[in-house]
Amino acid sequence: MVFHKRRWLVRRLFFNHEQIRTMSRVKRRTTHPPYWHVLKNNQREDEKISSDNLRFVREVIQDKYKNKSPIKGSDLDIEKTVWDPKTKRSGVIARNIGVQHMWEKDGKKVICTVLHVLDNHVVRYVPPEEYAKSVIGTKMFKNRKPLGCLVVGAEAANPDRFTRQYCSLFDEVGLLPKKRLARFIVTPNAALPPCTPLTAGHFVIGQAVDVYGKTIDYGFQGVVKRWGFKGGPASHGATKFHRRGGTIGTGRDKARVWPGQKMPGHMGSERRFNRGLKIVRINMKYNIIYVKGTVPGPTNSIVQIFDTILPRRRFTEAPPHPTYFPPEDGTLPQEDIWDSSLHVFGSPSISV
Amino acid sequence: MLRRAVLQTFRQGLAQSFFKRYAVSLTETTVTHQPIETSNEAGERSVPTQKTGDESRNTVVVAPPEFRFMYPEFLPDPAMETRNRLREKLERMDMLQRRSVIEIPEFYTGSIMAVTVADANSPNKFARFVGICIQRGGSGLRAWFILRNVVDKQGVEILYEMYCPLIQKIEVLRLERRLDESLLYLRDALPEYSTFPLDMEPERRLNNSVVPINPLKVKLRPRPWLERWERQNLQGVEDLNLPQRFYDKAEKVAKPWEKYDLMLHYRKTIPAEEQEKIFAEVHSQLQQQELKRKLRRRRGPDNEQ
Repeated sequence: MVFHKRRWLVRRLFFNHEQIRTMSRVKRRTTHPPYWHVLKNNQREDEKISSDNLRFVREVIQDKYKNKSPIKGSDLDIEKTVWDPKTKRSGVIARNIGVQHMWEKDGKKVICTVLHVLDNHVVRYVPPEEYAKSVIGTKMFKNRKPLGCLVVGAEAANPDRFTRQYCSLFDEVGLLPKKRLARFIVTPNAALPPCTPLTAGHFVIGQAVDVYGKTIDYGFQGVVKRWGFKGGPASHGATKFHRRGGTIGTGRDKARVWPGQKMPGHMGSERRFNRGLKIVRINMKYNIIYVKGTVPGPTNSIVQIFDTILPRRRFTEAPPHPTYFPPEDGTLPQEDIWDSSLHVFGSPSISV
Repeated sequence: MLRRAVLQTFRQGLAQSFFKRYAVSLTETTVTHQPIETSNEAGERSVPTQKTGDESRNTVVVAPPEFRFMYPEFLPDPAMETRNRLREKLERMDMLQRRSVIEIPEFYTGSIMAVTVADANSPNKFARFVGICIQRGGSGLRAWFILRNVVDKQGVEILYEMYCPLIQKIEVLRLERRLDESLLYLRDALPEYSTFPLDMEPERRLNNSVVPINPLKVKLRPRPWLERWERQNLQGVEDLNLPQRFYDKAEKVAKPWEKYDLMLHYRKTIPAEEQEKIFAEVHSQLQQQELKRKLRRRRGPDNEQ
């Protein structure tokens, strides 16, 4: 069996003990940020600015951003597009604020992750032709039809905390600079104009979502926690062999340590998707989504939520397309929407 | 200034109310010079402000300090990694919703309770269990308590989740406290200390404002035990009568410096300012629910007549 280093071939090596060795060899992540990551440096570090000038700067910021009323659907010029099953809608940036236990109608307890949809605004739409020419676009759309890209920002912050270059990304559309940016690949019929707000209403109760996040950083971990090794006996005379790896090779075959041998090392802080999580409750007032199951990453970390790509759990009916807008006549939507399988807390106790 | 006054009242009230309400024993109620107030009266009391024309609008309603002991599950888990104010607030709203449907009474470790649960496998679809609360824990919707009883000479313990919608009714048959916060030693005690009749009637409290402490000292069975009780500073257990080597080892293994470790205790508790905020939030709704239940109880016997 020839040992290949290329990722796509590695995935095809199946049904032998070498698979375990090769899968651990797959380059999982780096600890440096990716090339497309926009650095936003804290401008304030060495600024020796007088109090008068500081006041002036604050006034300028106020004047620039003050008259911002909430954007209504009618203000934005969105083309009326039709939804079809092949449409890819935008995703949303949210914060994982923890876990809450809820009960289903038969009394079964479920763990639900609480996701707080931050103040998302569309920053820019890159049409398919242009995006296909970019570095990442050429890789993605090599053998398929190019799609557009929506740049969405979340969590507005004080402009004087960022560099001028970073703020310029938002200046053209008149948004306060956002702490977090994300790209969502969308079909052209789901394109949104800049400054469009995305809220929890973008999703539908009962739909399945994929959540992308960076897993918990465990740091440098031993072989028992990192790879699930059994270690050695706790007693019965075991000398200094309780949580070690044991043998790392045979001696005859190849006569060296194979690349990909599982050993202690850095664990966690990897980009992962949890797919097919069901939305069981939406709170429109606080922009909260309750999702059945768990999500990669620790509490208070930022995640991205997309409509699922799993074929059996995709949309059959049209969702809010291209996104949700509150009704024009001012009627408030239902504040707390529950899935039919969940037991609502204000309703009478379950009797089996 | 108002805030400081509020905090002071809250913290003084914490200490005072603890001794007022949780009397040392049935025989030794502390003599206080202030009138004993029920939690209802205390709830209606607002922070005293100078009643001038302008300031009379600024009364801040503060929950009575006893709430910290009556409703400990409203306080979140102190671990900072998992704390988030918004999620805790939403959880508290859900807890209040559930409390509006079912009455979750005030109880402590050592109280005898009866819980009725919907059970598909029992003949009349409901299962009722009576027992003494030996431990309670959890925060928010995960709050739980364990009831222990001895049924047909077999010790039985059941863990109930307080906010589970399968629970139909929680009754407190005898409201009292014991000398310890955790009565797990009842597992190693003589069975008569854990036996309670399954058809026990609820006992009426003589004094509504004071929760009595039962100074009972329990006799343990001969060793082997499930835990090393001599290392746990138990107040509610009779003299263990162990050989001296057990106590020597317990001293060796003990951590007497922990009671001086301020940061350790700070990390394990929610600060008083936050507690005050949390209880002020839930206080009015809990009071309303109490009132509604009282009215329903008064109307109940009237309607039957």
